[in-house]
Parts: sequence; structure tokens; C-alpha cells
Amino acid sequence: MNTNTWLIRREFWENRAIWMLPAVFGALLILAALFGQVSIPKLTSQLEMHEAAGAFQVIVGVMFYVVMSVYSTWYLLDCLYADRKDRSILFWKSLPISDAKTVLSKLIVGMVLIPLVYFAAADATALIAAFILSIRARAAIGSALWQPDVWWQMQVLWVYCIITTALWYLPIAGWLMLVSAWAKRAVMLWAILPPLLLYLLERVFFGTHTIGNVLARRMAGWPWAAFNGAKHVWTEGSGVVDNNGVPVTVWHLINPSGFFTSAETWIGAAVGIALIVAAIQLRLRRTEI
Amino acid sequence: MAPLIEARELTKKYGAHVALDRANLNVEAGRIVGLIGPNGAGKTSALRAILGLTHYEGQLTVLGREPFRDRTALMNDCCFIADVAVLPSWLRVDQAIDFVAGVHPRFRRDRATAFLAKTQISGKRRMRELSKGMKTQVHLALTMAIDAKLLVLDEPTLGLDILARRAFYDALVNDYMDETRTILITTHQVEEVENLLTDIIFIDKGRIVLDTSLEDVATRFAAVAVKADRLDAARAEKPFYERQILGKVVLYFESVDAGKLAAFGELHTPSVSDLFVAKLSGGAA
Repeated sequence: MNTNTWLIRREFWENRAIWMLPAVFGALLILAALFGQVSIPKLTSQLEMHEAAGAFQVIVGVMFYVVMSVYSTWYLLDCLYADRKDRSILFWKSLPISDAKTVLSKLIVGMVLIPLVYFAAADATALIAAFILSIRARAAIGSALWQPDVWWQMQVLWVYCIITTALWYLPIAGWLMLVSAWAKRAVMLWAILPPLLLYLLERVFFGTHTIGNVLARRMAGWPWAAFNGAKHVWTEGSGVVDNNGVPVTVWHLINPSGFFTSAETWIGAAVGIALIVAAIQLRLRRTEI
Repeated sequence: MAPLIEARELTKKYGAHVALDRANLNVEAGRIVGLIGPNGAGKTSALRAILGLTHYEGQLTVLGREPFRDRTALMNDCCFIADVAVLPSWLRVDQAIDFVAGVHPRFRRDRATAFLAKTQISGKRRMRELSKGMKTQVHLALTMAIDAKLLVLDEPTLGLDILARRAFYDALVNDYMDETRTILITTHQVEEVENLLTDIIFIDKGRIVLDTSLEDVATRFAAVAVKADRLDAARAEKPFYERQILGKVVLYFESVDAGKLAAFGELHTPSVSDLFVAKLSGGAA
């Protein structure tokens, strides 16, 4: 194994919550499927069954995605701060590992590996919960939740989400890591206060909202950038949505050509890279609190 | 041969505070050097610069490299223990060995495990479950298993009891030191390292006050317990420090002919700790 692999193993040793949190969360969902009240109306048509399977997969996925977002945020904010706080940074720095490798290993864990762990946990949970529900509510749903094509579409959706969030949220991740490498205490406060202050200053002195709009768009704009959300192709009768306005397949939902050709995506990524370079520079200089 | 560590006009400022003020120092291979100074003298700043942990002004070469720019490469040949408390609390002993073995090309796992086998520490323990002394032993096992040319120890025994301290230094001298290695130790407790050093560097207020080998100390410095009637004559030779013990006046001289001094009273070579006190308080007087 090379240095990079060891650095990544190191992160999993230190942050056992990376897999324990999704495991516990999945277990809770399975318990809910086992003992919770199930009141599913009887599905009649093939279309309804298909939709139920899709909704089930998406609900499980979204729940995991929300937990993951909170955890990843915390992880990135803590990752360059924890070892400065307990001074173990002096031990890590006594080894022939460059600061760039260290910072990048943490970025990859935060933006790719943690999402992949949640992806696996969501898949496992959905599988087990679908099995339980199919037995408990077999009169209503039968084998509706067992649709390989829906399952495959969910895999596509996960991979697409992981790639697009990694790119879209790169500037946020870079900012969190920069604060993590810099702050002497109260990382959470330092992560929030400066952007908030900039927003307020602009509002008070110029009466404009440019910074606020840019930040809000970056924080909340990912679904609009990555999916066919508000696009006209969603209108009824266009053939890509069903009677409830839900896209028929994942391929109609995702918008890779729009996302990957948007200047917004790549400007954000460039800002993210700049912030990460700055975090590496701080890591070189700041050894202790 | 070029010195292992060579600093010219090494300066480190923190805002208006000057931690290192144009310090010059040389460390030759195969020596055990004590970097000695009171708290806040600049010892730690000097070490941080030497280890590439901080930016600095002036010229500094360690093992032929510029530490801040080349820290990663430098750490192949140089290792350090900065403080006993620095192993992270979540790390297990066996994980620590696996990790260092994985990333350090000069780490010898058999040596680390042999060292730990002599202790009561099991591989499954996490650092937070270990006492301070045990943590030091783990850190020492990891560090001594690295075939490094330079070992830097910054206050390595801080917070340890007397037994653990003795064990630490015994292990260092008996199991680790040989002619291919060089050790640089900082401490403000001089008595503790006095007997193992070959060279001393005194640092005070960011400046190097003395940089010499212990062999040179014997020829260069003398302490004389001066007889009462010779006091004025002795003072005329410009002692750099004067001290009264049990009614006797002891004068400290640098580079004054021993034959001349012997006439004033009982002559001896000052210990490192006496010399340290003499040099640092003498300079202020």
C-alpha cells in the first residue's frame, strides 16, 4: 500500500463515525420498517407499482443524503483542526508525508469516500427494508418494491449525485478546510461569521445582495444546476413525466449536459481549488494552536 | 565534512516579538547536542525551524536540505519527538506501528515490536488508555525504530516521573545512539541531560550565548573558590560571574590561564548546569 492509502485508512481509524453513523441510521430505518405502522393503499396498476418503488428508493436515498451532508460538513470543518488542537500534528509532521497529500486525503474522504459509504449503507438499508415491507404489506404492494430497473436507476442517481455534489460543493469544502486549517478555536463560528458579515456589510453599505445571492445559490442551487427541475421538459404530456409530474426515468431527471457545461459549475470548482491550495499553505505553516 | 545542521543569521519573528535573533549554530554528525535555555529563550523556535515546521529568515541547512521547503524529504532522514502528549488519543498501538511502517521507508518494524515487547503495552490499547510514561515508550519505540541520521527531542521528558525519565534516557543512550546518529535535545532541565551530552548550545533571548563541546568546556572555563584575601586580585582577572556558596566566593572565568587561577584558590571545571547559570545570569549583570 502506498502513502495515500495509509492516509485514507488513517481517516477511517480516527473517524469511526464515517461508517458507524450510517450503520446506526440504517439500523434505525430497518427497525422502523419492522415495527412501524404500515398503511399502504393497495397498488393497482403497473405504473403505480413502478412509482412506489421509485418513491421508496428516493426517500431512503434522500434521508441518507441529508445525514451525510451534515456529517461531511462537520468532518471537513474538523479534519485540519483536531490534530492541531491535541497537538498530534507534530507526530504526523514527523513523518515523510507532504502537507498537500494530507490535505488532499482528507478532501477525498470528505467529498468522495464518505458519500460512497452512505451510498452502500442506503443500498443495504433499502434492500432489507424492501424485503421487510414486502412481507408485512404483501397484500397491498406484493413485489412492487422489487424492480431491478428502478434499483439500477437509483445506482445511477447516487453516482451522479456524488460526482455533481463533489464539484458543486468544492468551494464550500475548500472554505471549510481553510477555516479548519486556520482557526484557533470555534471553527463553526469562523466558518459562518465571515460570509455572514460580508453579506450584512454589503447590504448595509451598498443596499445590494450580490454576495448573499451568490452564497445562497451555491448552498441551495445544486438541485437546480444538476437536475432538470424547473425545465420545461417536465411539463405534462411531454412524454417524460407521468400523470403526477414525476420524471419517468432517472435519465430524464438528471441534467449532466447542463451541469458539466455550465460556467457556474467550473467557476465554483476553480474557487474551491484556490481555497484548498490556501488550506495546504496554512497547513505548512500552522503547526499548533 | 559539512555540518549536519548549519544556521546562519537564523531569525524568527512573531509579530513584534523576536524569538530567534540572528542565531548561528553548527551541529556535527555523531554528537549528542543539548540546546539549553530558560523558558521562552527560543529553543522551540529553533527546533521548529530545523524541522521545517515554520518559516524563518536567514540561512538554514539540515542534512543538506532547506527544512521548510523540503520537510517531506527531510523527514526520511530525520525524526523527532516534540512532546510526549502528541500521539493522538484515538490511535491504537498496532495502528501506529502499521501506519509508520506503511509510510516511512526507513522504519524497522521488528525493532519497534521488540522494544514494545519489553513493556507491558498491548497492541490493542488506544493512546488515551495509556499513562504518560507508556505513551512516551510507544513514541520512543516508533522513533527509535527509524534509521534516521538526526533525532530531535524537544523537552522529551516533560511531565514524566523520575523513573520514566531515567528509562527514557537509558534507552536513548544504550539502544539508539551510535556513531552514525546525531541527537539534538532541548530542555530547560540541564541536570537531567548533563551526563550524556557531547556538546552544548546555550540560548537566551533568541541569541546563542555559547556553542561548544564538553571537551572544550574543561579547557576554556574554570570556577575558582577564591580565598578571602585573594578576592580583589581574582576579580581583577574579570570573572564573568560571581557566586557565594556557604560563605565561599566562587568566581567563574573564561579563557584565563589555569596556572594563574590556581593561585587564587581551589580550581575546578564547572558543571553544565553551573556554567548555564553563570553564563546566563552573568550576561545580565
